[in-house]
Amino acid sequence: MATGTLTGSRSTKADLAPRRTHRPVALLTLSWLVAAVLALPLVFLLIEARGAGVLDVARLIARPLTGSLLWNTVRLTVVVTLACAVIGTATAWCVERTDLPGRRAWAVLVVVPLAIPDFVVGFGWNSLWTWAHGFLGAVIVMTLAVYPLVYLPVAASLRSADPGQEEVARSLGSGQVRTFVRITLGQAKGAILGGCLLVALVLLAEYGAFEIVGYQTFTTEIYSEFNNYSFAASCALSLVLVLLSLLVLAGEGMVRGRGRVTRPGPMAQRTSPPQRLGWARWPVLALFAALVLLALGVPVGAAAYWMADGLPPALSGGANVSLLDAAGHTALYGGTAAALATVAAIPVALLAVRHSGRMRHFLERSTYLVLGMPGVVIAFALSYFTERYAAGFGYGSSMLLIVCYAIMFFPLALVGVKASLARAPASLDEMARSLGRRRPEVLCRVTLRLAGPGLVAAFCLVFLSAVTELTATLLLIPTGTQTLATQFWAYESNLSYSQAAPFALVMIVVAAVPSAILGRFFNRSAQARG
Amino acid sequence: MRHVAVTGLHKAFGSHRVLTGVDLEVPAGSLTAILGPSGSGKTTLLRLLAGFERADAGTISIGDRLVDGPRVYVAPERRRIGYVPQEGSLFPHLTVAANVGFGLAARQRRGAKVANMLEAVGLGGFGRRYPHQLSGGQQQRVALARALAIEPTVVLLDEPFASLDAHLRASVRADVQEIFRRAGTTAVLVTHDQDEALSVADRVAALRDGKIVQYAAPEDLYSRPADAQLAGFIGEANLLDGVLAGGEVKTFLGRLQVDPAAAAALGPGHGDEVTVLVRPEQIDLGLGEDGIAAQVISFDYYGHDAVVYLRPEHHADGRVIIARVAGGTPVPAGSRVTLRTRGQVFAWPKGSSAES
Repeated sequence: MATGTLTGSRSTKADLAPRRTHRPVALLTLSWLVAAVLALPLVFLLIEARGAGVLDVARLIARPLTGSLLWNTVRLTVVVTLACAVIGTATAWCVERTDLPGRRAWAVLVVVPLAIPDFVVGFGWNSLWTWAHGFLGAVIVMTLAVYPLVYLPVAASLRSADPGQEEVARSLGSGQVRTFVRITLGQAKGAILGGCLLVALVLLAEYGAFEIVGYQTFTTEIYSEFNNYSFAASCALSLVLVLLSLLVLAGEGMVRGRGRVTRPGPMAQRTSPPQRLGWARWPVLALFAALVLLALGVPVGAAAYWMADGLPPALSGGANVSLLDAAGHTALYGGTAAALATVAAIPVALLAVRHSGRMRHFLERSTYLVLGMPGVVIAFALSYFTERYAAGFGYGSSMLLIVCYAIMFFPLALVGVKASLARAPASLDEMARSLGRRRPEVLCRVTLRLAGPGLVAAFCLVFLSAVTELTATLLLIPTGTQTLATQFWAYESNLSYSQAAPFALVMIVVAAVPSAILGRFFNRSAQARG
Repeated sequence: MRHVAVTGLHKAFGSHRVLTGVDLEVPAGSLTAILGPSGSGKTTLLRLLAGFERADAGTISIGDRLVDGPRVYVAPERRRIGYVPQEGSLFPHLTVAANVGFGLAARQRRGAKVANMLEAVGLGGFGRRYPHQLSGGQQQRVALARALAIEPTVVLLDEPFASLDAHLRASVRADVQEIFRRAGTTAVLVTHDQDEALSVADRVAALRDGKIVQYAAPEDLYSRPADAQLAGFIGEANLLDGVLAGGEVKTFLGRLQVDPAAAAALGPGHGDEVTVLVRPEQIDLGLGEDGIAAQVISFDYYGHDAVVYLRPEHHADGRVIIARVAGGTPVPAGSRVTLRTRGQVFAWPKGSSAES
């Protein structure tokens, strides 16, 4: 320990020049790369629109067809989103805040419909009752298929909201109803809006269910135009659809922008005593039973009914082999895409969670633009572009489908990864470094270890979505290969319901596994917070 | 011998200037406390020492090695500094033993080192537990063992006792002090609690507005603070106007003897106006006629002692005098008492610093 190495070096002018602080160069580079890949579909779409001729595209958009599609799409989106908001919020409140008998069981049953693909719900209703058709059919099917998207965030927010606010409101002389409207709903407002946004985006992107109930929207029209090789038309309609989705995104951002919900720290977590339902519990129970029967019982029952109806052919050797084969492809594509999306989300999430700065914020936000790109558009843009400009590179191979899945569901992965990295605070990284560990080592031994469960959840979320995806799969599936969804679709289109049914059931089972893992993860993190 | 040397350290976050020229030399084997109100830049200084942030200007050396300076920056993992953060920051996915062994090489991790470290902090046999199974004080001690296991050149502690309950704080504090004394560790501790700084540290550095205002032994800091504002921050203070008269100062509490160090600094300026520091425990209360008459405004009882707020009767400037007396019978508000001041007092030229 020699002394005197520092000979009174007071700060001089030269020394006051700014020193370079550490910039996360590797993270920034990777994040830009991810953002660039995610922007590809939009870029492709614009290039294609130019290639098709701006005047032609404008003429195609100005057709009366666009108007009728717009009317169909908008009225369905508004009605179903409102219905989901009411059902999702009401069920969440009953499960989280009242003494409804069997709350734990309902909490599971009410969410399970999320694991049933929308087109299987459509198949269930439409194959049993012919009146479940057109606008009415579309409203019933989509509401029952997607209301859990509102239920889940609202239930989580009601669970973590500060009950003290309701108590204070009551003590300030606000009545029960007024308190519910002004405080409880106010606390859940962000979650309700977020759920509605997801519902609206799903509706704009839905294809299979609408095709089954015979309801024409932008997505079904883009799909059929594309299949008829009218690329200019599908391009024009895609532009309108993307614009519509971006409008929904922007609208939600504007409504949400005002006012913020402050959450108490972990110390302040308390649960409020449940609201007594009294005699009202019986009608509420009946409504819950009806909801689960309609949303879960009908599609599963219909699949089981058709399978039993055609038991001998379904169990014949050929069908079984193709079932296994299709399940294998589904798992392979879904698993690869989920891994790809999760890994790609890590640098963007790290940047968003650990570093501040306007450019980094923009980078993270830009990846959410993908939310406004319906699957059919992404698939169309990717396939058309590779065919035309990249000499068919990758077209017809499973790679394009996997990349398409990874792009489509990247925002889901990002949400999951960001939430999981929040469990690995930066202070632990600093701690590990001060103990002599280098950055890569810290990432493996501390950050990713802590974020592990959340990464699994992100993987499951993408896997689940990919397994039940139909539109992009139909467009991009390699020739000669089948997944559960495409094989189901092929049989269903031929009205071979008994042969389609086993594929629907296996799909539900495959999707149920990641759903169960996800459910456990969210329950545990809710407990950890509580 | 100095062990940590900091010169002219500057650090700003955007336009917010946090450190504006910090100079500090910490002797080897000593425990230095950095004391400052919240927002004074204490934690920033510690993070610069640890290498989590880089200084804008100035230098930091640890031992004989320059770790931050123009064109020099040593990454935190290569500084061999033991860092004990405020919340302990134990790795929640690792056992206590794995936490303590985190900074060690693989073969050392399996040796007796980890067990010895745990023994040293009084947690022998806790190795297989997980952090969430420990109390706050135990977690703090594991964090300390983890920092000491890498045989650091210096240990940095960021408000290490702030998250502990009052009754735990004293015992953990004493344990830590004992561990450091035995190992001869050089340590820098950051705190906003003046009692903690004065009782634990060998030397205390008072940080204010991004600069070190005074760096001295605890007793010097308390009885000879650099200025009136600092006097008010470190314990309670009565700041009175006075006039110098030889080795004494005339105040409305009478003629008081000036501390020799203060007298030397003030010079022989007879008749100069000064600001005088009288600590509350220098004031005795009596019931007789001898002394300055005053009325009790309020009486705060703490058990071991009590603080009395008084208004002198013949000085109408409304000034309140604070006195600290041994516990015992409370004196009711409104009672009349007499004040006497004992011991030497400290003084600065009037207007020499912003008075609080």
